[in-house]
Amino acid sequence: MRAPVIGRRQALAGLAAGLLASRVVHAATPTRGGTLTVGLANDAKTYDPIFSVQFTERHVLYLAFNTLVRYGTDFSIQPELADSWTTSADGKRIVFSLHPGVTFQDGTAFDAEAVKWNIDQRMDKVVNSPQRQLLEPIVASVDVIDRLHVAFNLIEPSPVLFSLLGERPGFMVSPTAWKQRGPAFASQPVGTGAFVLKEWVRGSQVVLERNPTYWQTGLPYLDRIVVQDLAGSVIGVQRLMTGEIDFVSELSPTDVRPIEKRTGIVLNPIKGRWYFTQWHVNTAPFDNAKLRQAFAHAIDRDRLNEITMRGQGSVSDGPTPEGLWWYDPALKSYPHDPARAKALLAEAGYPDGFAYDLSTPQVTVFQQVNQLLQEQLAEVGIKVRLQPIANSEWYARVVDGTTNFTPTRWTQRADPDGLLYILFHSKGFANTMKYRNAQVDTLLEQARTVYDMPIRKRLYSEAQQLIVRDLPMVPLIFGAEYAALRANVGGFEWIPDQIPRFRDLWKTAN
Amino acid sequence: MRIGRSIGAAVIAAIAVVALAAPGLAPQDPYRSGVAMLDLPSATHWLGTDDLGRDVLSRMIYGARASLAIGIGAAAVAMLIGVPIGLVAGTMRGRVDLALVALIDLFIALPGLVLALIITVMVGANLRNLIIVLGAVMWPPIARLVRGQALAVREAVFVEAARATGGTQVWIIRHHIWPGVLPVVAAQFSISVSFAIFTSASLSFLGLGIPPPAADWGGMVRAGYDYLAINPWMSLAPGAAVSLTVMGFYVIGTSFK
Repeated sequence: MRAPVIGRRQALAGLAAGLLASRVVHAATPTRGGTLTVGLANDAKTYDPIFSVQFTERHVLYLAFNTLVRYGTDFSIQPELADSWTTSADGKRIVFSLHPGVTFQDGTAFDAEAVKWNIDQRMDKVVNSPQRQLLEPIVASVDVIDRLHVAFNLIEPSPVLFSLLGERPGFMVSPTAWKQRGPAFASQPVGTGAFVLKEWVRGSQVVLERNPTYWQTGLPYLDRIVVQDLAGSVIGVQRLMTGEIDFVSELSPTDVRPIEKRTGIVLNPIKGRWYFTQWHVNTAPFDNAKLRQAFAHAIDRDRLNEITMRGQGSVSDGPTPEGLWWYDPALKSYPHDPARAKALLAEAGYPDGFAYDLSTPQVTVFQQVNQLLQEQLAEVGIKVRLQPIANSEWYARVVDGTTNFTPTRWTQRADPDGLLYILFHSKGFANTMKYRNAQVDTLLEQARTVYDMPIRKRLYSEAQQLIVRDLPMVPLIFGAEYAALRANVGGFEWIPDQIPRFRDLWKTAN
Repeated sequence: MRIGRSIGAAVIAAIAVVALAAPGLAPQDPYRSGVAMLDLPSATHWLGTDDLGRDVLSRMIYGARASLAIGIGAAAVAMLIGVPIGLVAGTMRGRVDLALVALIDLFIALPGLVLALIITVMVGANLRNLIIVLGAVMWPPIARLVRGQALAVREAVFVEAARATGGTQVWIIRHHIWPGVLPVVAAQFSISVSFAIFTSASLSFLGLGIPPPAADWGGMVRAGYDYLAINPWMSLAPGAAVSLTVMGFYVIGTSFK
């Protein structure tokens, strides 16, 4: 069958329209059966959701498990294991109605007891789940009302809870299997998901097979999903062309150049990964606001986008890309103005120029961004030396503070609190800039306890304005990336968190 | 052999001229980015452009400087360590020799590239460090070779005569042994240069070469690897330059036999 294929121009049009995730229609009618082979630079260390930390673990977790709620393609909160929910008048008690008749892959029932156990487990100090720090400030306790109704009692009203329950804290684990299997659960996980993890050969592949007793009628379509380890996107593109794999993602606009016009391959863009360059904002030399402003004015973000993203990303004026509800078009960062940068550098006390080391992890796009930053900063008298650092060591050094001036990138979260609080609240666990602004703290604390969207939006606008003005980081660009699929694979849609969901895909005959 | 040496010398001389005259020869600024990324060879860019729109030919011309500096510098460091150790071991014999031979064997047992990798990770990659690190891993074969030559020379009648007439070890080494081993050292120097260029290219390929944006051939081969399907010249051209230079020095080195 001939599948309608999205061309590059359409893809670009989608990006230009500011859509975060574009819907692409190809292999149109769902078909049962077949094996989907996915290529992935897999960094998984465990498939036990309670202990999951690594980015790509979730590619498999979303297959073997269901979350309590699900994200839509616009980050809206949709029902999944919970059919519906009600919030009390004071906003501090949320009751979830669970989908009836759901069983775990080990045959045990999924019910309110299981939900309570899952949340208790994550909040237990002894278990020491990395998700405790996310739930502890929000959840006071979980009550079982009856078999299909479970109540979350909150410390304060929390719109953030829903986004958490669509992510790692929301993956529902079989309590029976978790207790029985112990550490082996990491490689033999049991959830309610559409696929059962059959085999995990580290460094090689993960094999998942259709769950014959899956609770969503008619799903899944595929019989089997194989996640093959990839050493890099070049190899991924090659394997896709030869048909060894059906899907590969995290491709840069340059990576897809050889397959842009190839028949039988469909490209599906996703925009929004946020790139910025950060420093320790409260210690010398970067505690000097004029110095930071000089850097910001010296950087030509348009050119960064033009060269590293072939113009397909967009300039970042702040943490939020267009298309998310907390995006504020009025927010503007410091414009490219080399003359102003030079003047500010002199005012900052560096009339003869300034020199500093810029950490350069061995990641192609960071190396490209850094070389361009070096070139642009040199034009105003800022001499930047690129300090190479192994990618494996880099983030640990950013966290322990031995790395100061460095580029960073984050994918978007379903709730503004997800990124803004962890990065910019003085107590945020990813605030490696050591940024402290009491006003920002208050705004972020307020915003995480308000259900009213217009009020939340206003609070986040104010917070982002302060953050962008203070320059604990210089916003650079929002990246553009691609998933590339064989044209006979259908049903793929991006969710703006950039974790591909394979669960509901299908594959037609070639 | 003579012809080989002439060809090798001509190649190296040509590359040396390119390195010295780089600013005059390079058609464009090798560090200037542009929005025409990964273009194929054209009239403006004879070898096309790289992933940041920089002129590949200009970067290759500048890259000759880094490669020659590393090759010759590292070989010199290796000689400075290896030759004295070899001379002393070969001339003194006895316990000193035993100890030095044990040391040489210990270092020869460690694979050079792996050792260079580990040390580079520890000290950090830059031009000076690479020269020292590569010199430090290349000295043992030189020391062993020099020791072997020295052993042969020290048994010669004229050396025995010098010893009998009361010549000191240092005097003997300087006036009899050193001239005897000099041709071998010269040959080995040339081979060491080629090994150093080759190894530094390997280190660059593994991300431990001279940090960007410096133009160096090994780093260029690595950077181009991701884009072989778009502009293969980004890798092939500097790769060919490495091969040519390594071959040039190697041919000179082997011609001394």
